[in-house]
Amino acid sequence: MASADAQPRFGQSVKGLLSDKVGSCSGDVIALTRQVLKGSRSQELLGQAARNMVIQEDAILHSEDSLRKMSIITTHLQYQQEAIQKNVEHSKHLQDQLRHLLK
Amino acid sequence: MAATGDDAAAMDSISKAPAAHLAALNPAASTSVPAEGPEDAADSLAAASRRPGTNSDGGVETAEEAVEPAEPDINELCTDMFEKMAVFLQGELTATCEDYRLLENMNKLTSLKYMEMKDISINISRNLQDLNNKYASLQPYLDQINQIEEQVSALEQAAYKLDAYSKKLEARFKKLEKR
Repeated sequence: MASADAQPRFGQSVKGLLSDKVGSCSGDVIALTRQVLKGSRSQELLGQAARNMVIQEDAILHSEDSLRKMSIITTHLQYQQEAIQKNVEHSKHLQDQLRHLLK
Repeated sequence: MAATGDDAAAMDSISKAPAAHLAALNPAASTSVPAEGPEDAADSLAAASRRPGTNSDGGVETAEEAVEPAEPDINELCTDMFEKMAVFLQGELTATCEDYRLLENMNKLTSLKYMEMKDISINISRNLQDLNNKYASLQPYLDQINQIEEQVSALEQAAYKLDAYSKKLEARFKKLEKR
Protein backbone atom coordinates (compact mmCIF):
# COMPACT_ATOMS: atom_id res chain seq x y z
CA MET A 1 0.00 0.00 0.00
CA ALA A 2 2.97 2.31 0.62
CA SER A 3 4.69 1.85 -2.73
CA ALA A 4 1.68 1.77 -5.04
CA ASP A 5 2.25 5.25 -6.42
CA ALA A 6 6.03 5.43 -6.12
CA GLN A 7 6.62 5.80 -9.89
CA PRO A 8 5.93 9.27 -11.33
CA ARG A 9 2.81 9.26 -13.43
CA PHE A 10 2.60 10.89 -16.81
CA GLY A 11 1.11 14.37 -16.66
CA GLN A 12 1.22 14.66 -12.87
CA SER A 13 3.28 17.36 -11.15
CA VAL A 14 5.78 16.86 -8.40
CA LYS A 15 3.51 18.72 -6.04
CA GLY A 16 0.61 16.44 -6.87
CA LEU A 17 2.76 13.37 -6.34
CA LEU A 18 4.00 14.74 -3.06
CA SER A 19 0.51 15.53 -1.80
CA ASP A 20 -0.66 12.07 -2.81
CA LYS A 21 2.29 10.54 -1.03
CA VAL A 22 1.60 12.56 2.12
CA GLY A 23 -2.07 11.54 2.00
CA SER A 24 -1.24 7.89 1.57
CA CYS A 25 1.31 8.03 4.41
CA SER A 26 -1.25 9.59 6.73
CA GLY A 27 -3.79 6.95 5.74
CA ASP A 28 -1.19 4.27 6.41
CA VAL A 29 -0.43 5.66 9.87
CA ILE A 30 -4.15 5.76 10.69
CA ALA A 31 -4.66 2.22 9.40
CA LEU A 32 -1.64 1.03 11.36
CA THR A 33 -2.93 2.59 14.56
CA ARG A 34 -6.34 1.01 14.06
CA GLN A 35 -4.81 -2.36 13.30
CA VAL A 36 -2.63 -2.20 16.40
CA LEU A 37 -5.66 -1.38 18.53
CA LYS A 38 -7.74 -4.07 16.88
CA GLY A 39 -4.98 -6.66 17.17
CA SER A 40 -4.50 -6.04 20.86
CA ARG A 41 -8.21 -6.91 21.42
CA SER A 42 -8.14 -4.52 24.34
CA GLN A 43 -11.61 -3.19 23.53
CA GLU A 44 -13.36 -6.55 23.72
CA LEU A 45 -11.35 -7.83 26.68
CA LEU A 46 -11.97 -4.69 28.71
CA GLY A 47 -15.64 -4.71 27.73
CA GLN A 48 -15.96 -8.32 28.85
CA ALA A 49 -14.22 -7.50 32.14
CA ALA A 50 -16.63 -4.63 32.76
CA ARG A 51 -19.64 -6.86 32.01
CA ASN A 52 -18.38 -9.54 34.40
CA MET A 53 -17.85 -6.92 37.10
CA VAL A 54 -21.44 -5.70 36.68
CA ILE A 55 -22.72 -9.28 37.03
CA GLN A 56 -20.66 -9.75 40.20
CA GLU A 57 -21.94 -6.53 41.74
CA ASP A 58 -25.31 -8.09 42.58
CA ALA A 59 -23.63 -10.94 44.46
CA ILE A 60 -21.36 -8.51 46.30
CA LEU A 61 -24.31 -6.37 47.45
CA HIS A 62 -26.16 -9.48 48.62
CA SER A 63 -23.10 -10.63 50.59
CA GLU A 64 -22.77 -7.23 52.23
CA ASP A 65 -26.46 -7.28 53.17
CA SER A 66 -26.09 -10.75 54.71
CA LEU A 67 -23.06 -9.66 56.73
CA ARG A 68 -24.91 -6.65 58.12
CA LYS A 69 -27.84 -8.89 59.14
CA MET A 70 -25.38 -11.26 60.79
CA SER A 71 -23.88 -8.45 62.81
CA ILE A 72 -27.38 -7.39 63.98
CA ILE A 73 -28.16 -10.99 64.98
CA THR A 74 -24.87 -11.15 66.92
CA THR A 75 -25.83 -7.99 68.81
CA HIS A 76 -29.21 -9.52 69.72
CA LEU A 77 -27.44 -12.68 70.92
CA GLN A 78 -25.27 -10.53 73.18
CA TYR A 79 -28.37 -8.89 74.69
CA GLN A 80 -29.91 -12.33 75.30
CA GLN A 81 -26.72 -13.60 76.90
CA GLU A 82 -26.66 -10.64 79.30
CA ALA A 83 -30.30 -11.32 80.28
CA ILE A 84 -29.52 -15.03 80.86
CA GLN A 85 -26.48 -14.10 82.97
CA LYS A 86 -28.61 -11.86 85.15
CA ASN A 87 -31.31 -14.45 85.73
CA VAL A 88 -29.02 -17.42 86.18
CA GLU A 89 -27.44 -15.89 89.27
CA HIS A 90 -30.69 -16.59 91.22
CA SER A 91 -30.39 -20.31 90.59
CA LYS A 92 -27.96 -20.82 93.49
CA HIS A 93 -30.54 -19.63 96.06
CA LEU A 94 -33.15 -21.82 94.43
CA GLN A 95 -30.90 -24.83 94.73
CA ASP A 96 -30.22 -24.23 98.45
CA GLN A 97 -33.96 -23.93 99.13
CA LEU A 98 -34.69 -27.13 97.25
CA ARG A 99 -31.95 -28.97 99.12
CA HIS A 100 -33.51 -27.95 102.41
CA LEU A 101 -36.95 -29.01 101.22
CA LEU A 102 -35.78 -32.42 100.12
CA LYS A 103 -33.98 -33.18 103.36
CA MET B 1 -0.66 23.24 -17.25
CA ALA B 2 1.55 26.27 -16.66
CA ALA B 3 2.88 24.69 -13.54
CA THR B 4 3.65 21.48 -15.39
CA GLY B 5 5.58 23.46 -18.05
CA ASP B 6 7.55 25.29 -15.39
CA ASP B 7 8.38 22.04 -13.60
CA ALA B 8 9.47 20.41 -16.88
CA ALA B 9 11.72 23.38 -17.62
CA ALA B 10 13.12 23.16 -14.12
CA MET B 11 13.86 19.45 -14.56
CA ASP B 12 15.61 20.13 -17.90
CA SER B 13 17.72 22.94 -16.50
CA ILE B 14 18.76 20.74 -13.59
CA SER B 15 20.30 18.22 -15.93
CA LYS B 16 22.14 20.86 -18.04
CA ALA B 17 23.26 23.73 -15.67
CA PRO B 18 27.04 23.93 -14.77
CA ALA B 19 28.32 24.09 -11.19
CA ALA B 20 29.80 27.62 -11.50
CA HIS B 21 26.46 29.08 -12.51
CA LEU B 22 24.97 27.38 -9.46
CA ALA B 23 27.55 28.83 -7.06
CA ALA B 24 26.97 32.35 -8.37
CA LEU B 25 23.22 32.11 -8.24
CA ASN B 26 22.92 30.43 -4.80
CA PRO B 27 23.29 33.56 -2.63
CA ALA B 28 21.05 35.49 -5.02
CA ALA B 29 18.43 32.76 -4.96
CA SER B 30 18.47 32.40 -1.21
CA THR B 31 17.88 36.11 -0.65
CA SER B 32 15.40 36.65 -3.46
CA VAL B 33 13.14 33.59 -2.98
CA PRO B 34 11.16 34.82 0.03
CA ALA B 35 10.48 38.23 -1.54
CA GLU B 36 9.21 36.97 -4.91
CA GLY B 37 5.56 36.89 -5.76
CA PRO B 38 3.63 34.28 -7.70
CA GLU B 39 4.39 35.95 -11.04
CA ASP B 40 8.11 35.31 -10.47
CA ALA B 41 7.61 31.66 -9.62
CA ALA B 42 9.15 30.53 -12.93
CA ASP B 43 12.31 32.60 -12.33
CA SER B 44 12.61 31.35 -8.76
CA LEU B 45 12.08 27.81 -9.94
CA ALA B 46 14.77 28.24 -12.54
CA ALA B 47 17.09 29.79 -9.96
CA ALA B 48 16.40 27.16 -7.39
CA SER B 49 16.62 24.37 -9.88
CA ARG B 50 20.13 25.47 -10.81
CA ARG B 51 21.11 25.03 -7.15
CA PRO B 52 21.81 21.34 -7.44
CA GLY B 53 24.99 20.85 -9.39
CA THR B 54 27.38 18.18 -10.42
CA ASN B 55 30.71 17.52 -8.82
CA SER B 56 33.17 15.58 -10.84
CA ASP B 57 35.97 14.59 -8.51
CA GLY B 58 38.01 11.68 -9.75
CA GLY B 59 35.59 10.83 -12.54
CA VAL B 60 32.57 10.36 -10.27
CA GLU B 61 29.60 12.58 -10.86
CA THR B 62 27.20 13.34 -8.06
CA ALA B 63 24.04 15.34 -8.10
CA GLU B 64 21.91 16.85 -5.40
CA GLU B 65 18.19 16.61 -5.18
CA ALA B 66 16.17 19.32 -6.87
CA VAL B 67 14.08 21.26 -4.41
CA GLU B 68 11.46 23.89 -5.00
CA PRO B 69 11.23 26.85 -2.69
CA ALA B 70 8.47 26.22 -0.13
CA GLU B 71 5.34 28.32 -0.36
CA PRO B 72 5.04 30.76 2.49
CA ASP B 73 1.98 29.06 4.04
CA ILE B 74 3.09 25.47 3.43
CA ASN B 75 4.79 25.31 6.81
CA GLU B 76 1.62 26.35 8.56
CA LEU B 77 -0.38 23.83 6.57
CA CYS B 78 2.10 21.08 7.42
CA THR B 79 2.06 22.01 11.09
CA ASP B 80 -1.73 22.07 11.04
CA MET B 81 -1.82 18.67 9.34
CA PHE B 82 0.52 17.07 11.84
CA GLU B 83 -1.30 18.61 14.78
CA LYS B 84 -4.62 17.25 13.55
CA MET B 85 -3.05 13.84 12.95
CA ALA B 86 -1.75 13.90 16.50
CA VAL B 87 -5.18 14.86 17.85
CA PHE B 88 -6.81 12.07 15.87
CA LEU B 89 -4.32 9.45 17.05
CA GLN B 90 -4.66 10.75 20.59
CA GLY B 91 -8.42 10.29 20.33
CA GLU B 92 -8.03 6.74 19.06
CA LEU B 93 -5.81 5.82 21.99
CA THR B 94 -7.93 7.74 24.52
CA ALA B 95 -10.83 5.32 24.01
CA THR B 96 -8.76 2.42 25.34
CA CYS B 97 -7.39 4.59 28.15
CA GLU B 98 -10.93 5.47 29.20
CA ASP B 99 -11.87 1.78 29.25
CA TYR B 100 -8.92 1.12 31.55
CA ARG B 101 -9.89 4.07 33.72
CA LEU B 102 -13.46 2.75 34.01
CA LEU B 103 -12.19 -0.66 35.07
CA GLU B 104 -9.78 0.94 37.51
CA ASN B 105 -12.60 2.94 39.15
CA MET B 106 -14.85 -0.11 39.32
CA ASN B 107 -12.05 -2.12 40.93
CA LYS B 108 -11.37 0.63 43.45
CA LEU B 109 -15.04 0.80 44.46
CA THR B 110 -15.24 -2.97 44.73
CA SER B 111 -12.10 -3.08 46.87
CA LEU B 112 -13.62 -0.43 49.18
CA LYS B 113 -16.77 -2.54 49.48
CA TYR B 114 -14.68 -5.60 50.30
CA MET B 115 -12.74 -3.64 52.93
CA GLU B 116 -16.02 -2.63 54.62
CA MET B 117 -17.17 -6.24 54.51
CA LYS B 118 -13.85 -7.30 56.00
CA ASP B 119 -14.30 -4.88 58.92
CA ILE B 120 -17.84 -6.13 59.51
CA SER B 121 -16.62 -9.74 59.42
CA ILE B 122 -13.84 -8.98 61.92
CA ASN B 123 -16.38 -7.41 64.28
CA ILE B 124 -18.74 -10.36 63.94
CA SER B 125 -15.92 -12.81 64.59
CA ARG B 126 -14.79 -10.94 67.71
CA ASN B 127 -18.33 -10.69 69.05
CA LEU B 128 -19.02 -14.36 68.45
CA GLN B 129 -15.79 -15.33 70.22
CA ASP B 130 -16.80 -13.24 73.24
CA LEU B 131 -20.26 -14.81 73.15
CA ASN B 132 -18.77 -18.29 73.07
CA ASN B 133 -16.58 -17.48 76.08
CA LYS B 134 -19.54 -16.06 78.00
CA TYR B 135 -21.71 -19.06 77.19
CA ALA B 136 -18.82 -21.29 78.34
CA SER B 137 -18.75 -19.40 81.65
CA LEU B 138 -22.52 -19.93 81.95
CA GLN B 139 -22.12 -23.71 81.76
CA PRO B 140 -21.91 -24.32 85.59
CA TYR B 141 -25.14 -22.35 85.99
CA LEU B 142 -26.79 -24.40 83.28
CA ASP B 143 -25.67 -27.57 85.13
CA GLN B 144 -27.23 -26.15 88.30
CA ILE B 145 -30.45 -25.59 86.40
CA ASN B 146 -30.38 -29.25 85.35
CA GLN B 147 -29.89 -30.29 88.96
CA ILE B 148 -32.71 -28.00 90.04
CA GLU B 149 -34.96 -29.63 87.51
CA GLU B 150 -34.08 -33.12 88.80
CA GLN B 151 -34.68 -32.00 92.38
CA VAL B 152 -38.00 -30.45 91.43
CA SER B 153 -39.01 -33.73 89.80
CA ALA B 154 -38.02 -35.62 92.96
CA LEU B 155 -40.01 -33.10 95.03
CA GLU B 156 -43.01 -33.60 92.82
CA GLN B 157 -42.82 -37.39 93.27
CA ALA B 158 -42.54 -36.95 97.03
CA ALA B 159 -45.57 -34.64 96.97
CA TYR B 160 -47.59 -37.25 95.03
CA LYS B 161 -46.61 -39.95 97.55
CA LEU B 162 -47.52 -37.69 100.44
CA ASP B 163 -50.84 -36.93 98.88
CA ALA B 164 -51.60 -40.62 98.37
CA TYR B 165 -50.58 -41.45 101.96
CA SER B 166 -52.71 -38.66 103.37
CA LYS B 167 -55.70 -39.95 101.42
CA LYS B 168 -55.16 -43.47 102.83
CA LEU B 169 -54.93 -42.04 106.32
CA GLU B 170 -58.16 -40.13 105.83
CA ALA B 171 -59.99 -43.26 104.65
CA ARG B 172 -58.75 -45.32 107.64
CA PHE B 173 -59.74 -42.56 110.04
CA LYS B 174 -63.25 -42.46 108.65
CA LYS B 175 -63.52 -46.24 108.97
CA LEU B 176 -62.46 -46.10 112.60
CA GLU B 177 -64.92 -43.28 113.26
CA LYS B 178 -67.83 -45.37 111.95
CA ARG B 179 -67.03 -48.22 114.32
